[in-house]
Amino acid sequence: MDDQGCPRCKTTKYRNPSLKLMVNVCGHTLCESCVEMLFVRGSGNCVQCNTPLRKSNFRVQLFEDPAIDKEVEIRKKVLKIYNKRELDFYTLKEYNDYLEQVEDIVFNLTNNLDVERTKQMMEQYQRDNKDIIQKNKAKLTREQEELEELLLQEQQGSEQRRLETLQEEQRQLQAKRKNKQALLDELEISKLPAAVLLAQHKDRASQLETQIEKQKQNVKPANIFSTGIMMGQTVSLVSVSRVEEVLYVYQPLCFDTYGPPIPELDQLGRLGYLNHVRTASPQDQAGGYTSGLACHRAVQDAFSGLFPS
Amino acid sequence: MKLNIEGLLVYFPYDYIYPEQYSYMLELKRTLDAKGHGVLEMPSGTGKTISLLSLIVAYQKAYPLEVTKLVYCSRTVPEIEKVVEELRKLMDYYAKQTGVKNDFLALALSSRKNLCIHPEVSSLRFGKEVDGKCHSLTASYIRAQHQSNPSQPVCQFFEEFDAVGRQVPIPPGIYNLDDLKDFGRRKGWCPYFLARYAILHANIVVYSYHYLLDPKIADLVSKELAKKSVVVFDEAHNIDNVCIDSMSVNITRRTLDRCQTNVETLQNTISRIKETDAAKLREEYRRLVEGLKEANVARETDIYLSNPVLPDEILQEAVPGSIRTAEHFVGFIKRFLEYLKARLRIHHVVQESAPQFLKDIYEKVCIDRKPLRFCAERLRSLLRTLEIADIADFSAITLISHFATLVSTYSKGFTIIIEPFEDRTPTIANPVLHFSCMDPSIAIKPVFGRFQSVIITSGTLSPLDIYPRILDFHPVTMASFTMTLARTCLCPLIVGRGNDQVAMTSKFETREDFAVIRNYGNLLLEMSAIVPDGIVAFFTSYIYMENIVASWYEQGILENIQRNKLIFIETQDAAETSMALEKYQEACENGRGAILLSVARGKVSEGIDFVHHFGRAVIMFGVPYVYTQSRILKARLEYLRDQFQIRENDFLTFDAMRHAAQCVGRAIRGKTDYGLMIFADKRYARADKRGKLPRWIQEHLTDGSLNLTIDETVQLAKHFLRQMAQPFRREDQLGLSLLTLEQLQSEDMLQKIAQIAQQA
Repeated sequence: MDDQGCPRCKTTKYRNPSLKLMVNVCGHTLCESCVEMLFVRGSGNCVQCNTPLRKSNFRVQLFEDPAIDKEVEIRKKVLKIYNKRELDFYTLKEYNDYLEQVEDIVFNLTNNLDVERTKQMMEQYQRDNKDIIQKNKAKLTREQEELEELLLQEQQGSEQRRLETLQEEQRQLQAKRKNKQALLDELEISKLPAAVLLAQHKDRASQLETQIEKQKQNVKPANIFSTGIMMGQTVSLVSVSRVEEVLYVYQPLCFDTYGPPIPELDQLGRLGYLNHVRTASPQDQAGGYTSGLACHRAVQDAFSGLFPS
Repeated sequence: MKLNIEGLLVYFPYDYIYPEQYSYMLELKRTLDAKGHGVLEMPSGTGKTISLLSLIVAYQKAYPLEVTKLVYCSRTVPEIEKVVEELRKLMDYYAKQTGVKNDFLALALSSRKNLCIHPEVSSLRFGKEVDGKCHSLTASYIRAQHQSNPSQPVCQFFEEFDAVGRQVPIPPGIYNLDDLKDFGRRKGWCPYFLARYAILHANIVVYSYHYLLDPKIADLVSKELAKKSVVVFDEAHNIDNVCIDSMSVNITRRTLDRCQTNVETLQNTISRIKETDAAKLREEYRRLVEGLKEANVARETDIYLSNPVLPDEILQEAVPGSIRTAEHFVGFIKRFLEYLKARLRIHHVVQESAPQFLKDIYEKVCIDRKPLRFCAERLRSLLRTLEIADIADFSAITLISHFATLVSTYSKGFTIIIEPFEDRTPTIANPVLHFSCMDPSIAIKPVFGRFQSVIITSGTLSPLDIYPRILDFHPVTMASFTMTLARTCLCPLIVGRGNDQVAMTSKFETREDFAVIRNYGNLLLEMSAIVPDGIVAFFTSYIYMENIVASWYEQGILENIQRNKLIFIETQDAAETSMALEKYQEACENGRGAILLSVARGKVSEGIDFVHHFGRAVIMFGVPYVYTQSRILKARLEYLRDQFQIRENDFLTFDAMRHAAQCVGRAIRGKTDYGLMIFADKRYARADKRGKLPRWIQEHLTDGSLNLTIDETVQLAKHFLRQMAQPFRREDQLGLSLLTLEQLQSEDMLQKIAQIAQQA
């Protein structure tokens, strides 16, 4: 970089470390003071290629090769118009062809080949695809979205870790302080000799230490699923061996009551049993009660166990 | 001897066996039976390698359909050679016992530099040069050009191999690197490509970690290895760091400058080809429109090891339109490059996550995530199409493209740190972009996913449970074995104080303390007077060592030590260090006695063994914590805490202790060997440190050997050394720590053996 210099006044970076090189659309360099001097009126021609230039278009040269500065400038301009995304194409091949076309345009413009025709082509394209260009302006490409997401994750992750370690440190500090205070209190109140208390305190302190150590080690590793299976481990997918058994068949219950057969619930009325119980009031019936239920229960109780076994 | 390990007939090429070897084989067999992964710790010098080899080979012979291949990964070339030699012994024993000619193919694989037999290429000094030169002689289009233009040089060895080598299988046998070269010379075939081709049907392959873990290399070499392989990582206590290194990318200003020239070359080549051979570019274009279907099919049918750099989603999609043509792609790379340059031009440290980086890059240079993800694959295709001969020149741009793919693929597990200068030299601008992997499981995941059994083993893996956590896998066996000893031949001592009762520690606050340094000096001085032959001392870092040695010199301690022994120092320079080592050994040999001052995590601490008199005592000055101010380490610790619930301190201690254990373990390389292990830091006496030492060291740490002063240490050491100096014969060991077959089969011995393994 040291040997770079202004082609007009021949100052180099080595002789003047604060030298600022500027570049305009034609890709030729000039130092800042030359720019000030030559373009006092705001516009003029390039010293090397005679292209008419504006002073306001000069910018600081970022790269060693001014051609790259020029190319990037052009590329940014072209990409503003040719901003179709991968999703706008049906096949990958079409998208790749499109990319190549864009590349061709940039190449032509930077190397001054067919400039007129290329510019026309661009204008034509801009007119044809006005809507898409407008629509895509705000959209990021898929890859950039991914990148943004990754960056966000990174930020959040580091922030969280910082907080966690901070909290952890504070907790430990507090525990230690508490321990110390406890010792002081005990020394004040307790009747035991100080040596014993000190020994106890030492014990507790070392316990605390080991506890902290343990806690540190207990940090849950992130590569374990909640089931305790290691991530990435191949879990054998052999199916559990099947036990052959007879299917369960429902059999209605039937028990021996040791008495005459009990009439069914709906037959109670017909057989006249219901005449001997109190009829249910509407209040009772609201809850689903019928007089038959109580009657059936009573008959059941009465009949069972009548026959001697 | 022939062993019966739970019904498996194992040939063991020695007449005697250590009880722990038997126990080790039992555990290993259970792991293989369960087709799962295992973590096994056994002290060095107890014959881990031969136990592994004999059991797995026996398993392969017994169940050829269950385990088809053994892939044995080790760290260095000498270690690889050692494994092959053990294997040869085993195979000879098989042949002798069974009378059947050996039908196993086992071979070692290493880089081109170690295997090339081309007279010009092999004379090059650096591995990279050899690779580049080789590629420029063997690339497909070079060979195509050779067809039309015979003056174009090609490698005759490769040509020969390509013509006939693939049809004729390499005869079964054991091949180390030299054997491969010999075989290659005899046949006129290129040994490197022969080996790479032969590993596909070899029964046993021995090579370096990187061939399996580094995604760029693994994709070339290991992707077609069979699923039913057993993979063994030996000396794997540092495996997490290897994984991380293989996925991390460091970009400096120089890389970017080289990349710039690469881009220019690409541009020129493209414009040239466009004029001469436009059809070729069109053909590539057509292929890219079709998508990366071939690779996808291959991966779906499970032929290939998957590659973390080439994620699955990419294969299912076509290359995005914006980088389909060559010019557009070069423009894209240029923009990316300029963006990186602009990012490196900063004055303060920046740390950000991958999503933040991606958002910024979209705002600054309009680069989307998707084309970035395809960058590595697209560049590869382009380089292939342009027929660029010397790929090595393009390492910079390849690196950048890998970075692009990784950063856009993984939103988690990586961090980007841009530092404008090194911490030590804040005035010199030297900007570096670290793209650092924090999760070792990313690189190793394909290995665990693909192979049926992966065994991680080493002498020091304590605490065992941390490895499955940081590498994210579920082992079926985790066991630590102790050394059964007929006499206590290791004596760990923890020295906590000097004679003046000043605590001895390398803690940061007391690092510069005069008394501590003097005490360290006194310890070394006293030891030099009583320990025979060699002493190895380890410091925590080079800088610390320099400071201490300078201070010792001023205090006259060095002079006193030199009356007893010669002093050698390890430096960062490899040649210097190997020279020092050689002289150190010479001094130990001829009885003069020597002290080697070296550094934990250095070359000496990892790969060099100090058997018998080369290392009678190891002194570890301080706890070798890693440099904690590094931002990469901090980021990694934070990640470990959030993702794996491993606390910073736990990991740092674990890391320090595994290195300390590695260092002191250098001295004991067998049961007849003996040595002092002196931990000179009072912090070692704490339970959290002590508990992380390997079990075979912990067992011998009694309460009486904690927190000693220097003269107490001297007393204990004297006593120990006198005991050890008594003659020790094999008969003394027999029946206790060395067993014959009959002894092994006795009832109470089997019971004892069952207690050796401690399940974690």
